[in-house]
Amino acid sequence: MTEFAVNIGLEVHIQLNSQSKAFCADSILFGQAPNTQISPISLAYPGTLPKINEAQIKKAVQLALAVDSEIREVSYFDRKSYFYPDLPKGYQLTQDNAPYCKGGHLDIIVGETLKRVAIHHIHMEEDAGKSIHTLDPKNSMIDLNRAGTPLLELVTDPCLETAEEAYQFLSRLRSLIRYLGISDGNMEQGSMRADCNVSIRPKVSTKLGERCEVKNVNSLRFAKKAIDYEINRQTKVIKAGGTIRQTTMDFDADKGVTRPLRDKEDVHDYRYFPDPDLPPLVLTKKYIQEVRAAMPVLPWEIENKMIEEHGISQQQAQTFAYDPELRSRFQEQLKLYPSAKKLANLYSNKIIPYIQSEGVSIKEMNLLNDQICGLLQLIDNGEVSSSKAYQLIFPELMKSDESPRNIAQRLDLIMAQSSDAELETLFKTIFDDNSEKVKAYQSGKKGLLGFFMGQAMKASGGKLNPKKAKDILQRMLDNQ
Amino acid sequence: MSAYSNLYSLQDQLGTDRTTCVEIVEYYLENIEASKHLNIYVEIFANEALERAKFLDKKLADKSTKMGPLYGLVVSIKDVLCYKDHVVTAGSKMLEGFNATYSATAIERLIAGDAIIIGRVNCDEFAMGSSNENSYYGPTINGIGDKRIPGGSSGASAVSVQMDTCMIAIGSDTGGSVRQPAGFCGVIGFKPTYGRISRYGLIAYGSSFDQIGIIGKNIRDVASTLHTISGPDQFDSTVTSMPVPDYVSDLKSERQNLRIGIFENVLNNTSVSPDIKTASKNFIKLLERRGHQVDEIPFDLLEYAVPAYYVLTTAEASSNLARYDGIRFGYKSPNAISIHDVYTHSRTEGFGEEVKRRIMLGTFVLSSGYYEAYYGKAQKVRKLLTDRINGIFEQYDLIVLPVAPSTAWEIGSKSEDPIQVYLSDIFTVIANLTGIPGISIPVGVDFEGMPIGMQVMGPKFSETLLLSTTYNLLK
Repeated sequence: MTEFAVNIGLEVHIQLNSQSKAFCADSILFGQAPNTQISPISLAYPGTLPKINEAQIKKAVQLALAVDSEIREVSYFDRKSYFYPDLPKGYQLTQDNAPYCKGGHLDIIVGETLKRVAIHHIHMEEDAGKSIHTLDPKNSMIDLNRAGTPLLELVTDPCLETAEEAYQFLSRLRSLIRYLGISDGNMEQGSMRADCNVSIRPKVSTKLGERCEVKNVNSLRFAKKAIDYEINRQTKVIKAGGTIRQTTMDFDADKGVTRPLRDKEDVHDYRYFPDPDLPPLVLTKKYIQEVRAAMPVLPWEIENKMIEEHGISQQQAQTFAYDPELRSRFQEQLKLYPSAKKLANLYSNKIIPYIQSEGVSIKEMNLLNDQICGLLQLIDNGEVSSSKAYQLIFPELMKSDESPRNIAQRLDLIMAQSSDAELETLFKTIFDDNSEKVKAYQSGKKGLLGFFMGQAMKASGGKLNPKKAKDILQRMLDNQ
Repeated sequence: MSAYSNLYSLQDQLGTDRTTCVEIVEYYLENIEASKHLNIYVEIFANEALERAKFLDKKLADKSTKMGPLYGLVVSIKDVLCYKDHVVTAGSKMLEGFNATYSATAIERLIAGDAIIIGRVNCDEFAMGSSNENSYYGPTINGIGDKRIPGGSSGASAVSVQMDTCMIAIGSDTGGSVRQPAGFCGVIGFKPTYGRISRYGLIAYGSSFDQIGIIGKNIRDVASTLHTISGPDQFDSTVTSMPVPDYVSDLKSERQNLRIGIFENVLNNTSVSPDIKTASKNFIKLLERRGHQVDEIPFDLLEYAVPAYYVLTTAEASSNLARYDGIRFGYKSPNAISIHDVYTHSRTEGFGEEVKRRIMLGTFVLSSGYYEAYYGKAQKVRKLLTDRINGIFEQYDLIVLPVAPSTAWEIGSKSEDPIQVYLSDIFTVIANLTGIPGISIPVGVDFEGMPIGMQVMGPKFSETLLLSTTYNLLK
């Protein structure tokens, strides 16, 4: 049985969050009424010319520096020609022959292992408008608001081997562009889009198989689904004795399947040639140095430092590294509360899931540093059980500035601080009522410890300090 | 002889009781009317020009306001220049009735300089042609001779000056389109250095060749106009940031003892007409009498200029004209339903034959498998030519050449042979391939009385030298 290896290469389009379009002053605000963010230039009226928007250049250089890509001092814009109604000039301005940077890498974690993903190059280009085919049975609608929006296209080597790796790469890249503040990375709105090139080959062969490119993947989850589907499809075709032809595929998110858009035979001849309207893009060493100097510390550097300093998990450190707002809150709280691990656990168990499910920022959660620390101290002191603290007190914190202690009292969650003698009396009663179970425990059914604890909790109305109670119970059972 | 020989003396008369802007405009409107049979204007802005003249007269009467440098200058514009709220068609059915939504930078500067735009003149469709025969509006006729072409593509621009329907015509020069018609019509045609005047609002033909040019009757008016419309523009990143010299003041500073080169293969070339050879020799003598030194210099790349020019300009044109797709503006075929038909029918019906020929040629030379053999090679020729010309300018101040190998031919006589027409561009395409400035000046007539033009070219940004040298030659 032939075993197959998978090669996945990604082409990621990143919409830059500049104020205006790549080659004219039109706004790129998302969600405006159709054809309102336009001008004679973006409509390619006769006589108009492009002029490069400086703001996008800095963002492009930032990404190149972050992924350790080699920046060309002189790069060029090319025209990529094809006819489509949402492409006003009849060509797209892009960098085909000499992109502004080449090479580079981005590290991802898959399971427990670190993988270095090689980046082939990044180039600048402009986006097309949108064609909408579903509004009118006879006509297609064109919205040119997006036409001319600045994009970076980042192309990886075909070195990813599973859908999970592709997922991790896209996720990491999205975090990075958000961290750098160059794009909102919103895949649903199309500000980050991935074309996934998938091919399979016999494991023993080093020659890449014929690839299929899946376009229009607009979420991380869909990217993973589409790639998995494509791997399975190609494997089936080859196992059945067929061959894969180079094809462009569409991903149908509803059905979870890929479908051919066009065949290699219909591949366009884009007739690339250097755009005569734009002078070469010159990025001097001095300019690059200025951009580098103004760059924030990169997230993986922060991540490593946090693991070392605080002993928190890599997952936790990564989250803090990519989110400066979250990180600064964490660090403020560390001044008030000593255990970084316990604090980080509160973040990964309660705060981050809340942020993710509600789509809010830490600021919008309306949590005071004192409340967070107070909550952890209640647990540490054994005054409130951690489950009650998480489930009942935590949600209350977001409603007002009330202290966790007040909330605990109001909700009657403070555990009785029973003396040793009181606890011993309680357990004696329970042992007397369940002498069979005590015998069973002593003959080896150690799991019954939980039963006795449950009985004690029930008798006390749930207000025992569980740790203390458990210690005494253990001692009593072992000495019986 | 024109009643208004130059802007300088005209501005002297304005503001006195000798004349007014309104009178000037009326004078030119009469001349336009009288030359209608030549098919110069495709639209006359009569009322608008008169209104503007009235406005300028009023402004002039108010001694406290400063007049723009071009006040009183009556200008015709080639039908490839966008003028806000005016139709611009590039001589094509494709843009029939198309209204410009903004003004070209050069036009804005003319208006800001208090010039008066009197109308829009005919040209070869999308400026593709050397005879003004390729226009949707029909050919324009040379005012001299019997049914002669005026040259192209700014043919009507040259005739508009020749027939005294305006003082200055603003055209465009991609391979000689200003200098050659000026030569054929006996007027002055100037193509500045590539990057001197903004191309914003000039309908593109070959973007790395196109340059706005000026046609006039005297060097001084050309210099004034150039000074007003040149300079950096936020809408065109190929315009130089170099400061614009005061071309008019510099006219009188004539440089002596210039070293001037003429390609040796021109004077003994069999395809150059005998009268033009004679005119060239006389021109050399004139230069020598003025104390300049003229040398014949070898130039073995001349035969590659026209092929390289047509490969590169058609490549750029095929892409520049892709925007005329029937979707957002311009002609849309009524016979089209599917998107594919909208493209093919609109473009087939909207473009003329020469434009389609060049789009196809340009598409071919860029297509995969042929790119290196044609486009790539032509780029190398362009580089080689540029290096060679720059090398010549290390030893010589100027190069002189005839404007064309022949004078204006009869309308229709070369229509069947586009290659023959292309070859007539041989002496003018050099300046566009290398980006240098060139000026054509009238030096005489041939045995049939058709004007002969000589061309003077200088290194990049040598406008001052070109203008002052020719100014003093023509004085």
